[in-house]
Amino acid sequence: MSTVAGHAPSFPSRREVIEHVRALGREVVAVMPIHYPRAMLRAHRLHPIEIWGPPRVPRVEGSRHFQAYTCDIVVKATSFVRSGGIAGTKAILVPHTCDALQGMASVLGDFLHPEQRVLTLYLPRGRRTSDRDFLREELQRLGAKLSEVSGHQPSRADWMEAFEAEDAADAALADLYRRRERLAVSDRHFYQVIRAREYLTAEQFCEAATAVPEGNRPRTGVGLMISGIVAEPLELFDQIEALGAHIVGDDLACGFRRVYSTSMRNDPFERSASRLLKGPPDPTCGTPVRDRIEALQTRMRALGARGLLVYDPKFCEPELFDVPLLRKHLHEAGFPVLHVEFEMGETLPHQTLSRIEAFVETLS
Amino acid sequence: MSHVAAIGIDAGSTTCKLVAVDRDGAIIAWLLEPTEPRVEIQVRRMLDALRAEIRIETAVPAIATGYGRKLIKQATRNLTEITCHARGVFRDLGRAGTLIDIGGQDSKVIQIGEDGRPVDFMMNDKCAAGTGRFLEYTAARLGVPIEALGKRALSVSSEEPISSTCTVFAESEIISLIARGAEPDAILRGLHRSLVGRVVSMARSVGIVPPVMLSGGVARNEAVRTMIAEATGEDVIVPRQPQLMGAYGAALLGSAA
Repeated sequence: MSTVAGHAPSFPSRREVIEHVRALGREVVAVMPIHYPRAMLRAHRLHPIEIWGPPRVPRVEGSRHFQAYTCDIVVKATSFVRSGGIAGTKAILVPHTCDALQGMASVLGDFLHPEQRVLTLYLPRGRRTSDRDFLREELQRLGAKLSEVSGHQPSRADWMEAFEAEDAADAALADLYRRRERLAVSDRHFYQVIRAREYLTAEQFCEAATAVPEGNRPRTGVGLMISGIVAEPLELFDQIEALGAHIVGDDLACGFRRVYSTSMRNDPFERSASRLLKGPPDPTCGTPVRDRIEALQTRMRALGARGLLVYDPKFCEPELFDVPLLRKHLHEAGFPVLHVEFEMGETLPHQTLSRIEAFVETLS
Repeated sequence: MSHVAAIGIDAGSTTCKLVAVDRDGAIIAWLLEPTEPRVEIQVRRMLDALRAEIRIETAVPAIATGYGRKLIKQATRNLTEITCHARGVFRDLGRAGTLIDIGGQDSKVIQIGEDGRPVDFMMNDKCAAGTGRFLEYTAARLGVPIEALGKRALSVSSEEPISSTCTVFAESEIISLIARGAEPDAILRGLHRSLVGRVVSMARSVGIVPPVMLSGGVARNEAVRTMIAEATGEDVIVPRQPQLMGAYGAALLGSAA
């Protein structure tokens, strides 16, 4: 694995990762966004590979099963599953991130019956003690299903090894964000590494994160914070740089919202639940919007962001509920907000770029 | 004639505009044509025509805006329509406030700050409803010249509501109304109301800070002006040459550079 400043990072492909984990005696589980217990999968000798609506997959097959106003992540992932994209995996795990993903789990499990087992994970919409208790029980239920899928009942040693490895990868992710200003790589390169966590093993991710070089890379233009679910395609970052701006930080579901704090509880389910509930504010976890606004303001001030770009796939309900209040309150705090909705595809539409360009001009 | 300080080029989706300004920011010449498929060739020809009309002694800054702005090789810089319209209208009307620009294929709402810079904006560019194309499309269906649309819509008090927000569905709705014998001018009135409803709803999302100003070709339509005033409860101010505001703003930004 090599990572060179100014060049694209080099990672094993998904196929190579699958071969690698199988050689280690693990099976692959396809996982939908956003939050799920990675260590629990590992302890059960399973490896997660995430699906964020593959951009090259046509909507047609998925469109047959959902309303026209369902987001691309769900529609394209369903197309992907139906077209054999997850062949060879043991199961598909669909966390209850939003109503659209819950709907996807129902459509897959009740009507489409893929060859893989469809597993659900109901996530609480709060961070109270009762939420943690609920999540612990939900994880126990999921754990039993994972044992059925893998045929393996984790020992104490399996759990400890899994937590150690996944905590190290979580720490490597957090460290990348901490070191962001000192890293000698482009925004695109940075997010390629961040998003490699979606399919690399914990060890491979730690290696990739450590390989990101530090050094002088002068960053010019307007500093932006980017929020939303997923920044696709990665070309977006090149275009933002070409427009005279750069990303100083993010509040992306595929990025910073998964910088979890480590929990040291003894019970593995309790520990997994605590980890999932210790992430940054996230509307899909029921975080009150005021907490998200406050966290964004604090981070934007600290990182020197001039404005917030909210970049969402079309029809993302959890985000749409927050956007009007984000706009209002951040604007009042001196941080203009641009909300852009996009359709997942391989190219960036001219209109999207025009809006971002106009936004950068207003901040320049 | 004054010396040319800068040229603004607005390569819009429907019309292509060139504006030359002097050092004081006054318009000294302008050209406007329907946009041709090869806008870069068209702009080259229009620049030659402008040079033939006025004396341009040395290389002056040329700022391009509009959807085709990145194709204009003669431009020293390109900027979005948001920035250029805001600057042009602010200079022409001398007011901060809310600018609604209804162009041929998109519409924008721009909040202009006290210094003439855009503070916030919103664009509708994925749907023809709420744009000049919406009116053009249905004017053709009703056989009414585009220049007469506004006057005809205001000439009646009755109004046929158009419920479809999509241009294509609105056309089917209009066909049904014609088939039912509805008065064409009442249909036109309903059509204008529908367009205005969309742009005012967009303006409300940005926040309406008075006065409301209007630019783009559709600003010449008196029914649109009247109905926006009714819907917002604010006076609507229109620059002298609303279609030129993008190119004018570009030229002003070029001369200030």
